[in-house]
Amino acid sequence: MTTRYVRMMVFALTLLCASCMKWEYGLEEDFDMSASGEGLFICNEGNFQYGNATLSYYDPETKTVQNEVFYRSNAMKLGDVAQSMVIRNGIGWVVVNNSHVVFAIDINTFKEVGRITNLTSPRYIHFISDEKAYITQIWDNRIFVVNPKRYEITGYIEIPGMTMESGSTEQMVQYGKYLYVNCWSYQNRIIKIDTETDSVVDELVVGIQPTSLVMDCNNKLWTVTDGGYEGSPYGHEAPSLYRIDAETFTIEKQFKFDFGDWPSEVQLNGTKDKLYWLNDDVWEMDVTADRVPVRPFLPYNGTIYYGLTVCPRTGDVYIADAIDYVQQGMVYRYSKDKELIDSFYVGIIPGAFCWK
Amino acid sequence: MRRLLLILSIIALAPISLRAQDDIPKDWAQRGIKISEVSVYGQRPMKDIGTQQTKFDTLALKENIALSMADVLTFNSAIFVKNYGRATLSTVSFRGTSPSHTQVTWNGMKINNPMLGMTDFSMIPSFFIDDASLLHGTSSVNETGGGLGGAVKLSTLPAQAQGFGLQYIQGIGSFKTFDEFLRLTYGNNHWQASTRVVYSSSPNDYKFRNHDKKINIYDEDMNIVDQYYPIERNRSGSYKDLHILQEVYYNTGRGDRFGLNAWYINSNRELAMLTVDHGDDTDFDNRQREHTFRGLLSWDHLRESWKLSAKAGYIYTWMAYDYKRDVGNGIMAHMTRSRSRINTLYGQVDGEYYVGRKWLFTANLSLHQHIVVSEDKNIIRQDGGKAIVGYRKGRPELSGSVSAKWKPTERIGVSMVLREEMFGREWTPIIPALFVDAELSRKGNIVAKASISRNYRFPSLNDLYFLPGGNPDLKSESGWTYDAGLSFAVGKEGVYSLTGSASWFESFIKDWIIWLPTPKGFFSPENIKDVHAYGVELKGDLNVAMGKEWKLGLNGTFSWTPSINVGEPRTPADQSVGKQLPYVPLLSSTVTGRLTWRSWAFLYKWCYYSERYTMSSNDYTLTGKLPPYFMSNISLEKSFSFNWADLSIKGAINNLFNEEYLSVLSRPMPGINFEIFISISPKW
Repeated sequence: MTTRYVRMMVFALTLLCASCMKWEYGLEEDFDMSASGEGLFICNEGNFQYGNATLSYYDPETKTVQNEVFYRSNAMKLGDVAQSMVIRNGIGWVVVNNSHVVFAIDINTFKEVGRITNLTSPRYIHFISDEKAYITQIWDNRIFVVNPKRYEITGYIEIPGMTMESGSTEQMVQYGKYLYVNCWSYQNRIIKIDTETDSVVDELVVGIQPTSLVMDCNNKLWTVTDGGYEGSPYGHEAPSLYRIDAETFTIEKQFKFDFGDWPSEVQLNGTKDKLYWLNDDVWEMDVTADRVPVRPFLPYNGTIYYGLTVCPRTGDVYIADAIDYVQQGMVYRYSKDKELIDSFYVGIIPGAFCWK
Repeated sequence: MRRLLLILSIIALAPISLRAQDDIPKDWAQRGIKISEVSVYGQRPMKDIGTQQTKFDTLALKENIALSMADVLTFNSAIFVKNYGRATLSTVSFRGTSPSHTQVTWNGMKINNPMLGMTDFSMIPSFFIDDASLLHGTSSVNETGGGLGGAVKLSTLPAQAQGFGLQYIQGIGSFKTFDEFLRLTYGNNHWQASTRVVYSSSPNDYKFRNHDKKINIYDEDMNIVDQYYPIERNRSGSYKDLHILQEVYYNTGRGDRFGLNAWYINSNRELAMLTVDHGDDTDFDNRQREHTFRGLLSWDHLRESWKLSAKAGYIYTWMAYDYKRDVGNGIMAHMTRSRSRINTLYGQVDGEYYVGRKWLFTANLSLHQHIVVSEDKNIIRQDGGKAIVGYRKGRPELSGSVSAKWKPTERIGVSMVLREEMFGREWTPIIPALFVDAELSRKGNIVAKASISRNYRFPSLNDLYFLPGGNPDLKSESGWTYDAGLSFAVGKEGVYSLTGSASWFESFIKDWIIWLPTPKGFFSPENIKDVHAYGVELKGDLNVAMGKEWKLGLNGTFSWTPSINVGEPRTPADQSVGKQLPYVPLLSSTVTGRLTWRSWAFLYKWCYYSERYTMSSNDYTLTGKLPPYFMSNISLEKSFSFNWADLSIKGAINNLFNEEYLSVLSRPMPGINFEIFISISPKW
């Protein structure tokens, strides 16, 4: 009797253990996008702390999209919060914020060619030369100086008036030997860096929390502030769009938005004479305009757009919709005549674009 | 009539008096598995009319001192435990709802964090809990409001000691894990005192193969010549947790009992790096510390036909989150420095009144007054001065209920509960709950149960006020839920017992609160989802005496929980409508088997979670799903009884088949690991 029960027990246990979890390694997929002339990379942030950032690639000519190209090509994850990407000499540099890394990839095969690690909380990378680049950070009062050839951190630029905790440097634009950087989180400044001495030489106070920075065909810097938020001890004000002369580093024009507006994502077209940004709707304005247009380029469509870019060749406008932020986002492509040309799903929270 | 009242009173005071057999199971291997007389299942307490409950026996709660309540629930119930790593945040959700829809009480006092709305079950050592039960769905309305998924009811009990007692357990395990437990007890006919201490520590640096990243090998010109998946250690995952629980009870012997419970927690845990983190762990320090004190005074007053009890309590929680990095020369500078302090005052009165043998009336009123200070970030203002981003808020939470329970015949029970809650200045509408049960057959003790209720959950304080992002315009989440089921119990005293239940449930939750990113770079909560959750829960329990010295106990659960987003699409591109919610497994199951022979005991625990989606659209992408996993743990215990002491030695193996698995994306879990426990209880 006892033996039979023991046998039954052993049999039951064997059944329970029979199946185990199957966790396959990724397979490296071969891509070759060298034939496609133009191409658009989309950095999908993924969910903070979940490590599900991805990279998508869109061919505007064939209207085809490839998602998760970094994972599929390298059989490993891109990381946690893909923040931005730039291309230099056929290499794409993908900044992955909460993974403390910048990946260098071949832009045709998406294969990794190297990586810069141990950054604090990287946001954007800007190349000064083939052997020198700056990487801005949040939660660090330093901009990291790196050697992209050796994938090494070679130094730091300390930013005055910031602690580590309140540190925030963002997008970079170069004018001659000077580099301009907007300081965003609990900041209100554009700083000016001498790229020969790697030091901050000047700063310009704008409104609360300038979110992005570009330079137009007339060497005018454009930044837009988000105005902070209600209850912020740093202040809460109506946001503004600023035009700044890069030569004199002075504010030329301030375009005020309504209190409570959330403008973001200032972008330029290929000829750098038209400015675009998001503020519920998508807005377009000549860089020489004296006032913000009355009507938007594309009206609000019931969702909060998260990313924006303009094709430098065709002027097509691409808008990213993160939908509910936990599913594949959608990118809409409009012609400069406001006609919907295409739409395609990418990864979770598409936030940044990079043109090949 | 007197005899009847006595029986009813005993049932009503069950938590006080029915625990003599459930003292610390230091010798459960010797005692084996108790096979009760099955007929007791037929006496359904009036307080439990129609409720769907899962009760945990002492064997599950006191299996080993290394276990938290999260571990106990993982292997002994069908509810979903979302585990962010070993000794890391573990949340619990019922029936496809979220962790904040699970209300948790400790000796009647709600211990959900009022800032977050949820409870970290990894912070509750199972050795500190003497009585635990799950109140599924509607059944939670009997205990508290806000449990859209259900409630977890945790209690401590008098030790039932006579004279002095001492028990010490030392656990030593993999990853330099040390678990120590000490319990001192003293008791006589009137006084019961108990002091429990648990200290657990470990560098927690378990090895795992990191599938999520590769290590590059470069040549001299910095070309990648090779790559491989590294075998890594869990980086920055160490922990040191101290828990002290002091209890004193005084029983007058004339129907009054006074109690004091004081629980202190001192926890210092690193937050382990993600699998996709390319930072150097020696350069970063990511740590969470917590000091929590929970104190409770209670008075139970029992008379033949009525009972009154009153409680007063206080909770203080200090939490610190520090994220630092080395900025050179070993100087660790703060990237984030968050502090929060929560003071909660608590008071509750309960009354029960029996009218004849057919009616029981109960009433309950509780008040939690929270005072919260949240300091999330230190900044420099525009004028150069310093400032802290955070909030200070107080909120009273009042909850009251009345119920009438009626047994028109021995076989039928009906219970009606009306509850009302006030949070701050907001009142819920009346929360009604109706329960019925009926004994369909005495043979087999087949009982049918059904219940239905409406419920509300107020937003947490962070939902409303957190800076940045808190949304004071949030609405309460609300829901309708009903369930129906059958249970049976058969057996023969001393030979076998077999019980089982099957239930169907269905819930509709409106205005589900979810935190979403904003274009301003921070998260903010919104009422965005309407959810339809439904499914089946099965439970079974078998105890068999196989001859004189062999005893077998088997316990199993299974649940099928579709939890579907039925809200409106947020945009035309929204693919989440009609899809399973992320991180909610469709299927889950547990099996526990205990085999005892003389003073030997073998335990096998098994659990299963089906594939979980990580996206609301259920996209089947490479990062869009977590593979299903099976987990098996075993332990073998041998007890010795000497004149001077009882001793036992136990060996446990966790993750027996060395599964590589994840409960949450990018959070590695440990492979096979071992721990040995030695227990000694001197006989004075």
